Amino acid sequence: MITIALSKGRIFEETLPLLAAAGVVPAEAPESSRKLIIGTNRDDVRLIIVRASDVPTYVQYGAADLGVAGRDVLIEHGGAGLYQPLDLEIAKCRLMVAVQNGFDYQGAVQQGARLRVATKYTDQAREHFAAKGVHVDLIKLYGSMELAPLVGLADAIVDLVSTGGTLKANDLVAVEHIRDISSRLIVNQAALKLKEEQIQPMIDAFAGAIGH
Amino acid sequence: MRNWILPENISDVLPREARQIEAMRRGILDLFGRYGYELVMPPLVEYVESLFVNDDPALDLKTFKLVDELTGRQMGLRADITPQVARIDAHILNRQGVTRLCYTGSVVNTRPDGILSTREPRQIGAELYGCADIAADVEVIELMFESLALAGLGQVRLDIGHIGLFHALADAAGLNGEARDEVFLALQQKDLPTLRSATARLDPAIAQGLTALPTLYGNVDVIGRARASLPALPAVVAALDALAQLGDALAARGIAIRFDLAEVRSSDYHTGLVFAAYAPGFANAVARGGRYDSVGEKFGRSRPATGFSLDLREMTRLPFPAAKPAILAPAGEAPGLLAAIRALRAAGETVVVDLGVDPAEAGCDRRLVGGQGDWRVEALA
Repeated sequence: MITIALSKGRIFEETLPLLAAAGVVPAEAPESSRKLIIGTNRDDVRLIIVRASDVPTYVQYGAADLGVAGRDVLIEHGGAGLYQPLDLEIAKCRLMVAVQNGFDYQGAVQQGARLRVATKYTDQAREHFAAKGVHVDLIKLYGSMELAPLVGLADAIVDLVSTGGTLKANDLVAVEHIRDISSRLIVNQAALKLKEEQIQPMIDAFAGAIGH
Repeated sequence: MRNWILPENISDVLPREARQIEAMRRGILDLFGRYGYELVMPPLVEYVESLFVNDDPALDLKTFKLVDELTGRQMGLRADITPQVARIDAHILNRQGVTRLCYTGSVVNTRPDGILSTREPRQIGAELYGCADIAADVEVIELMFESLALAGLGQVRLDIGHIGLFHALADAAGLNGEARDEVFLALQQKDLPTLRSATARLDPAIAQGLTALPTLYGNVDVIGRARASLPALPAVVAALDALAQLGDALAARGIAIRFDLAEVRSSDYHTGLVFAAYAPGFANAVARGGRYDSVGEKFGRSRPATGFSLDLREMTRLPFPAAKPAILAPAGEAPGLLAAIRALRAAGETVVVDLGVDPAEAGCDRRLVGGQGDWRVEALA
């Protein structure tokens, strides 16, 4: 049995064509069924639906053999115990620094003062500002980061930006690009070794579907 | 305050697991003995300088440290016994010929290897010094297989890699510092996208070799594919020859192996062949080992070295037979009672004297009854 961990929404939708290339069609849609374990047309493949940030954890401990996780999530997780052989080039977005419109970000950064940064991605934010030589106080938030600069909780935020619509609606501007994000196929290390005959064809099918 | 709570990832070993660990420990040490491996018992703490071989930041980070009040020097609680045994071979025993040593004991880690891992693994392992030939690796791998079989793991998958491949390619490309670390990490995670971008500016032949490594895993034809896709540097050719030779030698012993040429994961002190055993139901390797030829250098004498180790506590997840039922005996000095108990114990029975035990809790299924010098064993209702 091969278990694939996916998160609802964009990643699930954009993984469907890749699964189809591997001959796997889910029996139900997660949005409508509310089931957390979803069967497929293949007896030996099932899907589990977990939170995006939990996908690497499920795969690391072998609760799932394969998974699809954003690079943002993988960097925060650290990647221990995982193989990440493919960039699936889906669920693309950018990790950016954003501030309230009118805030003098370049000035604040050059001054040498400590910057208050609200983010869900503390590891990447810490590394980004350390590389710039800027001291920051990180405030870990789990959602609605855009609010933090507006209510004076933080000077800047580090967040994923895909269309920029949310930033604009909240009078924020992106001031710095940290990295491009897309989703990776991740594989449990022991699973690849023990179930190579089942897993390798699936990796090859995914690779074929994205043109690698 | 709940003062009986243990720290994170630290746990007691309770009777069932303890019995299993002890049975495996004895069985495996006896096995080592039959191969001529001598048991050594290095100390729990020693100066940090001798606990780490070469520059091993990962092991350094894993080691608990304290200050020796006698000397003011920094000591560490061992996080791995292998470097200690290498120190014994290099500097204490000073033998000229091949030396075979084995060990077992607890090691302590500052950080668990994973959320579910213990910070106090019970390491058992065997090391062979003074032989650079593949024959030494073959013996160690054979021993690893037999140890796992003793623990109840008959079906394991053996993966073999060679760290020399990465080092040869990285040296040829002049990779240093952070750039080298980035490529190393990407290889460890078979992270092809990162590997491609990290090697984009290197010599094309080397870059192609480095990006080919993660795809070079599988059965014996990997060696042929590797010869075609890796640049024919002397160190690369030597590593591939060693892998092929090891594969043949193990095949002759009926041990099936897989090659994984991006396997660069074991400890930082490994220098050549590395191997790891995987088993169904275990999310991590169940046993690991490899060559670490340069380790003794730090202790004044560089010797070829190879060895393996495993964590006995991991093995307690395997099924293990229940303890042999015991016999409940009355307390006191009734005529003939002490002799009857002694005879039963001499015959290998467990006899529990009834000082108020619950027979079920004490695992008793029979009891000693009678009197006046006439004692017999009957089933407990």
